[in-house]
Amino acid sequence: MSTQFTELQLDALRELANIGSGTASTALSSMLGRSVDISVPTAEALPFADAVDAIGPAERVVTGVVIGVHGDMAATVLLLLGESDAATLCGLLGVDPADELAASALGEIGNIVGASYVNALSAMTGLTLEPEPPQSATDMLAAIVATVLAGRAAADDIALVLDSDLRVEGEDCSMSFLLVPSHGGVQELLTRLGLGD
Amino acid sequence: MVRMGEHAFSGRAGDVLVSLGLGSCIGLALLDRRASVAGLAHVVLPAAEGREGAPAKFADTAVPALLDAVVGLGARRSRVDAVLVGGASMFSFGGGGLDVGQRNDAAVREELARLRIPIAAAETGGSTGRTVRVDVEHGIVTSRAAGDVEVALYPKTPVAA
Repeated sequence: MSTQFTELQLDALRELANIGSGTASTALSSMLGRSVDISVPTAEALPFADAVDAIGPAERVVTGVVIGVHGDMAATVLLLLGESDAATLCGLLGVDPADELAASALGEIGNIVGASYVNALSAMTGLTLEPEPPQSATDMLAAIVATVLAGRAAADDIALVLDSDLRVEGEDCSMSFLLVPSHGGVQELLTRLGLGD
Repeated sequence: MVRMGEHAFSGRAGDVLVSLGLGSCIGLALLDRRASVAGLAHVVLPAAEGREGAPAKFADTAVPALLDAVVGLGARRSRVDAVLVGGASMFSFGGGGLDVGQRNDAAVREELARLRIPIAAAETGGSTGRTVRVDVEHGIVTSRAAGDVEVALYPKTPVAA
């Protein structure tokens, strides 16, 4: 099985991520009562070590909300927020960032945003996808990302990372949204799009 | 800089081997303090299961590969100490069994025991990510968790540099 993707395949995956994050941003927007902008997503197939570097500085402290996906495709959705972004988001939700509830509130954001992303993918591809309950952790970026990659892309040297940015209008608050499918999962996605190997 | 699935080794004064932000991965350091030789592997998964090409990525292949590397630089096998950092359980993924961090930790320890390399110090498990630094010349290993201060792990009693 090839671990490299053609430009056409990457384009198709980017488009999937675009629609997924579009749906997710609508969900976030209705929760916050603010409009949310999305960037054009990037789709990159990278060796593990490069994938971590591409996402951000290794020791930067971030909050990660992880949502496992099972069903026809195994994948992990990861929402990454910087410290100040997490605090701003808590503020918008009326939760004190230092409070114990903060992690739960962020987990809930991740849950709603992540689930809408997964549902959009599911609707587009016809795959049955079940999101698992979210888990959040605040830690070094590399520790969070590497743990997700190790748990998901296990057997392969190449990780496919679909990265979209969501930005809350009028606030200095953005978050990064990653979909990390297992290798078999990528093939499944491409097959459903008529671009399988 | 030792990134995911990579390893590095050195006998050069002034060199510092670093793995930033270890989560479920293990930073495995092998040192011979008298020879001022050290190596660091960033282990991602417990077992290679026949996969080739990236020995440092898997616990069972990383330990012998790193040992060969430091011995090749002049370390005496009988003097080599191991220091382990990482193996945190950051998330408990669905689907039973132990998580990757715990399995990595166990697999590295098992391989070290098989090769009879003593574990001089370890900071593994828990739920936080860590950065590990290995000062090659002085044989000093430090670890730092997110938002925390750097702590000396090895040698146990601090020595004048």
